[in-house]
Amino acid sequence: MNFPPEAPLLDVRNLRVSFFTPDGVVGAVQNVSFSIARGRTLALVGESGSGKSVTAYSLLRLVQPPGRIVDGRIVLRSQRAGEIDISHLDEKSGLLFRVRGGLVSMIFQEPMTALSPVHTIGSQIDEAILVHQDVSPAAARRLTLEMLHKVGIANAAQRYAQYPHELSGGMRQRAVIAMALVCRPELLIADEPTTALDVTIQAQILGLIKTLQREIGCSVLLITHDFGVVAQMADDVAVMRQGEIVERGSVRAVLKNPQHAYTRTLLDALPSRRARVM
Amino acid sequence: MKPDTPSPLLSVRGLTKHFPVLTPGFRRRQTGVIKAVDDVSFDLAPGESLGLVGESGCGKTTTARCLLRAIEPTAGVTLFRLPDGRTVDLARLSDRELKPVRQHAQMVFQDPFSSLNPRMTVRDIVGEPLVIHRLAQGADLDDRVSAMLARVGLRPEHRSRYPHAFSGGQRQRIGIARALIMRPSLIVCDEATSALDVSVQAQVLDLLKELQRDFGLTYLFVAHNLDVVRNFCDRVAVMRKGRIVELAATRDIFTAPQHPYTRILLSAVPSPDPDVKMNFNVGEELAKLDALTG
Repeated sequence: MNFPPEAPLLDVRNLRVSFFTPDGVVGAVQNVSFSIARGRTLALVGESGSGKSVTAYSLLRLVQPPGRIVDGRIVLRSQRAGEIDISHLDEKSGLLFRVRGGLVSMIFQEPMTALSPVHTIGSQIDEAILVHQDVSPAAARRLTLEMLHKVGIANAAQRYAQYPHELSGGMRQRAVIAMALVCRPELLIADEPTTALDVTIQAQILGLIKTLQREIGCSVLLITHDFGVVAQMADDVAVMRQGEIVERGSVRAVLKNPQHAYTRTLLDALPSRRARVM
Repeated sequence: MKPDTPSPLLSVRGLTKHFPVLTPGFRRRQTGVIKAVDDVSFDLAPGESLGLVGESGCGKTTTARCLLRAIEPTAGVTLFRLPDGRTVDLARLSDRELKPVRQHAQMVFQDPFSSLNPRMTVRDIVGEPLVIHRLAQGADLDDRVSAMLARVGLRPEHRSRYPHAFSGGQRQRIGIARALIMRPSLIVCDEATSALDVSVQAQVLDLLKELQRDFGLTYLFVAHNLDVVRNFCDRVAVMRKGRIVELAATRDIFTAPQHPYTRILLSAVPSPDPDVKMNFNVGEELAKLDALTG
């Protein structure tokens, strides 16, 4: 499918997500709009409860009741499948099935969210391939081994047959990245992908995401609370607070010259920027 | 250190904790040991904050727990100076001798959600140490709890509520109040602000600094976040594989790190300044370091 080069891969317009709880309606995401260009990385940054994860989940229609997308459009301009309004797809449509894990895939903070404890690493990645691509099981296995190698897992053949609990946290996150990228998605959503990891492991995982993004040419939506990760990984940033985007722009502009008071408050609270109190 | 440094509040020499590695199954034969803490030595001067940093599994938390005898050290000496001037070896005290000493060395934990008993009110949580040590009861107990809650920024009406009614930052304040009500001289903070959002983290760190000034506290501050330690501590000890690889003044650690591991660790921290590029290559560098040191 050919789109004008300036047309972004993803356009989110006036997205509203509410949770209809017995105690009343909570507007978790209120009138949020943003877009992501092809091959670029947008960071969605905010504190707990700001609505950044709910926004990310909406893109794959993963918001569970009592939560619901009440308004807005989520337009994906896929090279492979054309223009899709994800927000209006039927829950049972084949296209939504293709979007999830095929055109758009997601990695989570806790890798065990995405891994089944009772299946081997290899069989889970095989399954992701077999669901979305028309290949033989033997070919899927070859692809899986190649992908495990690519994400820096040594002894791929041995790891293929192991269960998630036999891997360290960093290795599990690598396996999840392999599973997310093996179908060459056009958009990767990474929800706090390194928050649970040590800083030296985090550096390796972030480097891996960058390298594979370049190789596959996908865009990345990075959900994080860490301005360090934003500065090192993203091209653009949107700052969320209480369900709204309060400021957005290029990473350099927002971090070096924040316009909104809340962004300034967050940046001033960073331990690395606070004057040493003695 | 300055030449007129007062004698240390805590002096740790050769602290070691080995965990046995057992075979699986019924017989559980021992096949080796894990040296979780391996010959760790340092001094804590009264009124200072010493940061203990390192990655998961480096032994920093085990070190902290061995000091306060939450777990039993395998070997080592931990000399602790009491307010009355006596010095005791925490590592060698019997349980009975340890109990009265414990009020002078308290701990603040990481997870404000699991370290507070959900079935106790804030009044009971904060007052419990005084009850256990039989230091207060009745109206006196109530007054001391109220005063301490006010001191950490909580309101008197919070006393009758349960932990679930509070935010993460407020719960951490409750944990701090519980530790402080014993008027300890040493506080071990084990990842005390790691679970908090940055703005809340900043408030709790400010509170800890303020309390340090007002009560003359000495902190051993266990953390994995290097930026927090840089902001909070006077000196920093970097741990790896159970050992302290480098211990120096905070400024020196961050501006002129001597040990290659410290340099790699610092280079891996993502800077919020887009012009300061982080090192994505730490995996190879750590492997090289291990190959060199064996």
